[in-house]
Amino acid sequence: MTAETVQNLEALASQAQTMMSVFIKAGYDAVAPPIIQPADVFLDVIGESLRARTYVFTDQDGAELCLRPDITVPTCRLHLERHADPMTPARYCYNGPAFRFQPQGVTAAHPREFRQAGIERFGDKSREVAEAETVAIIIKAIEKTGFKDWTMRLGDLGLFSSLLDAAGLSPNWKKRLDDAFLRPLSFREALKGYAAGVRPASSSIPEEVLSSLSRDDMEASEAAVAVYLEEEAIELIGTRSLTDITTHLVDIAEDRQEKPLDAGAIELIERYINVSGPAITAGEKISALIKEGPNGSGYALETYDRRLALLANAGIDLDRVTFSAEFGRTLAYYTGLVFEVNAAELGTKSPIAGGGRYDRLMRAAGSSEDIPAVGAAIHSERLLAVCGGKTP
Amino acid sequence: MSKLTLAIPSKGRLMEQTTDMFARAGLVVRKVGHVRGYRGEIEGLPGVDVAYVSSGEIAEALKSGSVHLGITGEDLIRENISDAATRIRFLHKLGFGFADVVVAVPTCWIDVSTVAELEEIAIPFRRKHGRWPRVATKYINLTRRFFGSKGYGDYRIIESAGATEGAPSAGMAELIVDITTTGETLRANGLKILDDGVILKSQANLFATNAAAWTPDLEALCAELTGKLSASIPEKAISR
Repeated sequence: MTAETVQNLEALASQAQTMMSVFIKAGYDAVAPPIIQPADVFLDVIGESLRARTYVFTDQDGAELCLRPDITVPTCRLHLERHADPMTPARYCYNGPAFRFQPQGVTAAHPREFRQAGIERFGDKSREVAEAETVAIIIKAIEKTGFKDWTMRLGDLGLFSSLLDAAGLSPNWKKRLDDAFLRPLSFREALKGYAAGVRPASSSIPEEVLSSLSRDDMEASEAAVAVYLEEEAIELIGTRSLTDITTHLVDIAEDRQEKPLDAGAIELIERYINVSGPAITAGEKISALIKEGPNGSGYALETYDRRLALLANAGIDLDRVTFSAEFGRTLAYYTGLVFEVNAAELGTKSPIAGGGRYDRLMRAAGSSEDIPAVGAAIHSERLLAVCGGKTP
Repeated sequence: MSKLTLAIPSKGRLMEQTTDMFARAGLVVRKVGHVRGYRGEIEGLPGVDVAYVSSGEIAEALKSGSVHLGITGEDLIRENISDAATRIRFLHKLGFGFADVVVAVPTCWIDVSTVAELEEIAIPFRRKHGRWPRVATKYINLTRRFFGSKGYGDYRIIESAGATEGAPSAGMAELIVDITTTGETLRANGLKILDDGVILKSQANLFATNAAAWTPDLEALCAELTGKLSASIPEKAISR
């Protein structure tokens, strides 16, 4: 809910000033990217699922625009405008409104218009240092406004990848599982399917075509597909070419040849997904899992432990931090660390802050390569509420 | 006593089928005043006011509560009312206006027959064309919810007001979400339905809206009307 009273507005403004001063003092450059943004970037980055949460509109010239649903993507665009080389290290902070459609209805904790105060940093060489500093500054800003009783939830989308390495899976399997992991709704089903083979038997692709294809002779493969279409009197329409279709068919044919996913690997993955609890003991559980794998290397765990140590050094009380292997899978664009700061009275559905690593986002915003990026934002109205203010 | 307002389709097949259904239930619906007017009444049910409204606008009228009851397709209710489950009461299926809302892709995509396979081609497609595959549809919300439930988000919606089936061959979109009854129009446009691509099996329903003002008298009248209609609709007509 937007500030409805002058007192509320003033309380939010003063709270924002407190947080911004923490960010600026830490060396973050204050920016104010436009509220109205081109819809394309958001829709291309996050996909259509975002449209469900974003106010998208068409202006008089027919341009598709949106009210920014967060300030992270606008800050990425601003960074790209400022720096010809997006690898140029930079730190930004901001405070301002963001807008989201609330499909479950508008409530005090889920307003359609709210303020975010946050930071984003790009181009950092040392990953864990940047992550720990981001978390620590967000906590510092929150505590500075008077709220001390927070808890934190961590996730790490990169750990799953490391687990797959440890399990000794082939690159193809690894890619498939990495992709599947980010789709929690279908993941368990996919895993079940993989136990039987890569591709469910129900696939209704013509067998006679599949068996005649080979990556070594794409020309002949394409010709075979063309003959099939001709025989079946299927006209080639639309924007996908015969080459596109044939290439995908070859992938499918190769998938068919592949052995089912090893039962041991499936069990390892299932046990990993169920890891959840205090951050310190979760690390031990994951360490045990990784060591079981044939290629059990300590690298991923070093990252995990190093990050926790850096957090502890920065003054974060690790007893208040939990880790969940599943956490972060549904959050749009994160690629590594994810975190959320919670207040008991608002519950885990309404975190007061959240953020993480999102190395691939800059590319979607126009960069030609991935750029190391970490950021987080505080939900101002929620924070004010737990500080004893008026909203929500 | 205030009247129970019932919105029925103002033109086309749906209007004819609605009138026929009332006739089978022994209820005569007729226009009041000018034959081109948009108000009507039901003989023998003086408490009911009939409003002739285009079927798309019936969903809007139910959403806002400007009518109590409405007859229209389930597809339009699900598409236009995001909180239909709580706002709208599904009183009775009516056994006509059958239409499936489906995901259809070019038949020449012999490599794609499920949403999972559609998902597989999205990233290579984007690499080559610089954008996600486009879905032409007027069912934006149904499309989003359906793909969302499958965990698929790598597409762009292109709003299409009409002749959606022609969008892929015209190069305006890669695939479509649209209604079909027999699949004939899809086939004629070189399209096929994905194996798991049926989003909704829709038919005309009698809907009531919780957004309107209800009194016990109006509820009773609504029950009487629903009872008369449902008695005239054989069970097998509404199940497919």
